[in-house]
Amino acid sequence: MKNMVIRASLKNWFQLFYVHKFPAAGFKTTADGAIILQSVSNDIYQNLAVEDWIHDNINLENMQVLFLWRNLSTVVIGRHQNPWQECNLKMMRQKNIKLARRRSGGGTVYHDLGNINLTFFTSKKKYERMENLKLVVKALKCLRPQLDVHATDRCDLLLNRNFKISGSAAKLGRTAYHHCTLLCSADRFLLSSVLKSPYKGIKSNATPSVPASVKNLFEEDPTLTCQIVMDAIAAEYAIYHQIDHHVTLINPADETVFPGINNKTKELQTWEWIYGKTPKFSISTCFNMVYKHSFLEVKVDMDVKHGRIEVCNINLPEEWLPPALCGELEKNLIGSKFCPSETTALASALLRSCPQDYEVHRRWNLFCENMTTTLM
Amino acid sequence: MGISKKARKYTDKHEWISVENGIGTVGISNFAQEALGDVVYCSLPEVGTKLNKQDEFGALESVKAASELYSPLTGEVTEINIALADNPGLVNKSCYNDGWLIKMTVDSPSELDELMNEDAYEKYIKSIED
Repeated sequence: MKNMVIRASLKNWFQLFYVHKFPAAGFKTTADGAIILQSVSNDIYQNLAVEDWIHDNINLENMQVLFLWRNLSTVVIGRHQNPWQECNLKMMRQKNIKLARRRSGGGTVYHDLGNINLTFFTSKKKYERMENLKLVVKALKCLRPQLDVHATDRCDLLLNRNFKISGSAAKLGRTAYHHCTLLCSADRFLLSSVLKSPYKGIKSNATPSVPASVKNLFEEDPTLTCQIVMDAIAAEYAIYHQIDHHVTLINPADETVFPGINNKTKELQTWEWIYGKTPKFSISTCFNMVYKHSFLEVKVDMDVKHGRIEVCNINLPEEWLPPALCGELEKNLIGSKFCPSETTALASALLRSCPQDYEVHRRWNLFCENMTTTLM
Repeated sequence: MGISKKARKYTDKHEWISVENGIGTVGISNFAQEALGDVVYCSLPEVGTKLNKQDEFGALESVKAASELYSPLTGEVTEINIALADNPGLVNKSCYNDGWLIKMTVDSPSELDELMNEDAYEKYIKSIED
């Protein structure tokens, strides 16, 4: 009979399924057990770290895990995506919306507390996204039989045939996980604005997102809160795996349950991972500046690799700024992070080495501000 | 010029390596490329990266998933297949030839003995396919 997982403390339970350890002699691990975890954290990096930790540490040959999590306002890009192509980084900085890069593939999504994330962990052999999505659809239909929800062969979930309420992504490594979003009551308007990139002239072979019209479940039925939906999915998962409908709350910052997890969290927050992992891209663009009734055009060409500027060519109207100064900027930008604060800092440092000419300073600041705003 | 079938050794993660003049060419097997589906992006390491056997060295993204790549041997990356940047589908179309992933030095030739030959790999696939 399935469902003989002994409810020891979670830490002890995990130890039984560590990749490099065998179950304690005498303990009978049954075939095909399963467990449901829910994070108490709303921090994207901590929650992504849980996924990494489970992938690296838990033997999933005879075990499956469902992980439920929600995050505060965040944009999450796929592993091989370019954030400058996918979202409005400037708006995100203004509104304090975080950016994260996940380790699975797929496209860009917006998370807030009105969105549920579900991660299905299985062995590679048992990896089956459609089965997972069918389970979610079943759970929703159990809740509200009249709900028109179905899974497409792109592994999206559509509401009323037209509106995307869920997107999926997956990673196959030592084991497999499939995770998906589910829009219950997210800020749909902020989602649309923030997932629109204002940056022009980018050439890249990064994986692109496929835009879609989205809708929230609560717009269809105001009683469908995140909690109700999570409970329904957990219940359906429990039935499917013949286990108790018991959801274990987990704290992703707890090193005693998840030894080594804080290092994973840190790594996910590094600039090198979030921005530096962007596939090589080039920018070729112009922008206009208005200065004292003059209309000026600036042309910028850059190559960015590992998030750093490799090639930099800036064309300004002749003599509008000291050519030597511009040349120095181009030279200094090479090797620096493609990042507004770093560019601004470099530009300011150069300016300090310049004679105190008010006019030059004013033009320089206008030019740098325009450049960082338009490109980064 | 194709890489002779006899020269390939396989890992249990469905990578193959073929060694010539001390340099190993690495790719994924036909079984792997079929399972993966259409590859849309290849993430490969920098030339000069030092890898230990079984280290993660990159990933292949397909519509199905992002799939990790594991180094078959210990060595240093000497070349990467730049054709894959614009044409990642080569991994599906020609996994044993034009769709090769990286070339690397072979620091411990004895590690090759731990890998499966063609026959052993065929048997391995059959055993997991059931």
